[in-house]
Amino acid sequence: MSSRKDQNAAARLVREQIAAEKRRKRTLYISIAAVSALVIAGLIGWGVYASSKSGEFTAPRNTNSAGSGVVTGSGPVTVDEYVDFLCPHCKAFHDDYAAQIKQLADTGKITLVTHPVAYLDGASTNQYSTRSSAAAGCAADEGRFTEYADALFAAQPAEGTAGPSDDDLIALGKTVGLGDPFAQCVKDKKFVNWTDHVTTEAGKAGVSGTPTVLVNGKPVQATGPAIAAAVAAASGTGPTPTAS
Amino acid sequence: MSSWHRAQPWVSLVVRLALAGVFLTAGLLKVGDLAASGRAVNAYQILPYDAAMIFGAAQPFVEIALGLLLLVGLATRLAGWISAVMMVAFIAGISSAWARGLNIDCGCFSKGGVLPPGVTPNYVPELLRDAAFLAMAVFLIIYPLSRFSLDARLDQLSTTDEAFEEYDDDNGEDEPAAPAARQRRP
Repeated sequence: MSSRKDQNAAARLVREQIAAEKRRKRTLYISIAAVSALVIAGLIGWGVYASSKSGEFTAPRNTNSAGSGVVTGSGPVTVDEYVDFLCPHCKAFHDDYAAQIKQLADTGKITLVTHPVAYLDGASTNQYSTRSSAAAGCAADEGRFTEYADALFAAQPAEGTAGPSDDDLIALGKTVGLGDPFAQCVKDKKFVNWTDHVTTEAGKAGVSGTPTVLVNGKPVQATGPAIAAAVAAASGTGPTPTAS
Repeated sequence: MSSWHRAQPWVSLVVRLALAGVFLTAGLLKVGDLAASGRAVNAYQILPYDAAMIFGAAQPFVEIALGLLLLVGLATRLAGWISAVMMVAFIAGISSAWARGLNIDCGCFSKGGVLPPGVTPNYVPELLRDAAFLAMAVFLIIYPLSRFSLDARLDQLSTTDEAFEEYDDDNGEDEPAAPAARQRRP
C-alpha cells in the first residue's frame, strides 16, 4: 500500500497528463478550423472572380478577327496599342504621339490595332474604364473610333473620382458626330462584354500595364520615335512576319 | 522570472498585431479589384494566365483571413508558419522576377503590373521589407504566446477547476494544479 502522499502525486500526474492531452486536442481542432477558414477565404475569392467573368460577347465592326482590338489602316506592319481611357500615362502617350501613329496608318505603313482595356476599374468609383471602353466599341461600330478616342482622352477624368456617366459619354459622342444609334448602343451596354473580352485577351497576351505597344508582336517603348524606328526596321526586312 | 520571460508576451503581441496590419492592408488594397490582382500575379510570368488569375483573386481574401487570425490571436503559431511560407514565396517570386530582368511593380501593396517605360524597378527595398516580415513570422513561430490573444483566453477557460473536476470525485475541492496552471499563463 502506498502512502496518501504518493497517491496525491500520482493523481496530480494523471491530471496533468489529461490537461496536456486536452490542450493537444484543442490545438489540433483550432488549427483545422484556421486552415479551413483560409481555404474558404481563398475559394470565396475564386468564386467572386469567376462569377464576374462574362461569357458571350459581340465584337463591334472594324475590329480584328480575334475581336480583341479596333483596326485602323491596313499596312503591312501590325502595331498593337493597349490603352485604358482612365490611365494618365495613356493620355500623355495619346497627346504626344497619336497623330504620328495615325499618320503611319493613314500612309499605309501600319495596321494599327487599338485595344481599349479596362484595367483600372478600381481607380474610378463607377467603373469608368469599362464604360468608356464599351462606348468606344459603340463608336467603332459606327466607324468613328479614332475621333471618339480623341474626345475621351481630351475629357479624361482624374483617377479616384467618379468618371463621366453614360449620359456624359453619349453627349461626348455628339461632339464627334455620333448620333442616336451610338446613344442606344451605350444605353444598352451592348459592348460591355466585348470590353471584358478585350481585357482578358490583353492579360493573356502578357500585357499587365498600360500603355503597352507591340510592333509585330514585340514590345516597344510607348514613344513615337521608338515605334517609328521599330516599324521602319520591320518594313525593311522584306516579307512581313505574322504578328502573334 | 527573467525580465525577458515577462516581456515576451508583450513583444509577441506587438509582432502579432504588426503582422496582422501588414496582411490586412495588403489584402484590403487588392480585394476591390480581383482582376487587377490576378494580372499582377500574371506579370511575374510564373503561372499560366488562368492559374495566375485564380491565384490573384484568392490571395487578397486569404491575406485578410490570415490578418484576422493574427489580429485576434487564434492559432498564432500556425498563422506564423503560414505567414512565413507566404513571405518565402513572395521573396522567391520577386527574386525570380529580378533575375529574369522583368520590369514589374511587385504588387505587394498595390495592384502591381508592368512599370511605365523609363522607370527602373528597385527590388532591394521590397526584398528587405519581406525579409523583415519573414523575421516577424518566425518570431511568432518561436514565441506564439502573446497578451490579449484568443489562444490564451481559450487556454484559461480549459485550465479551470471544472476541467479537472470531471476526472476526480472530490466534488469541488480546490485543485492544486489549477492555480499553478493559471499562474503559468502569460
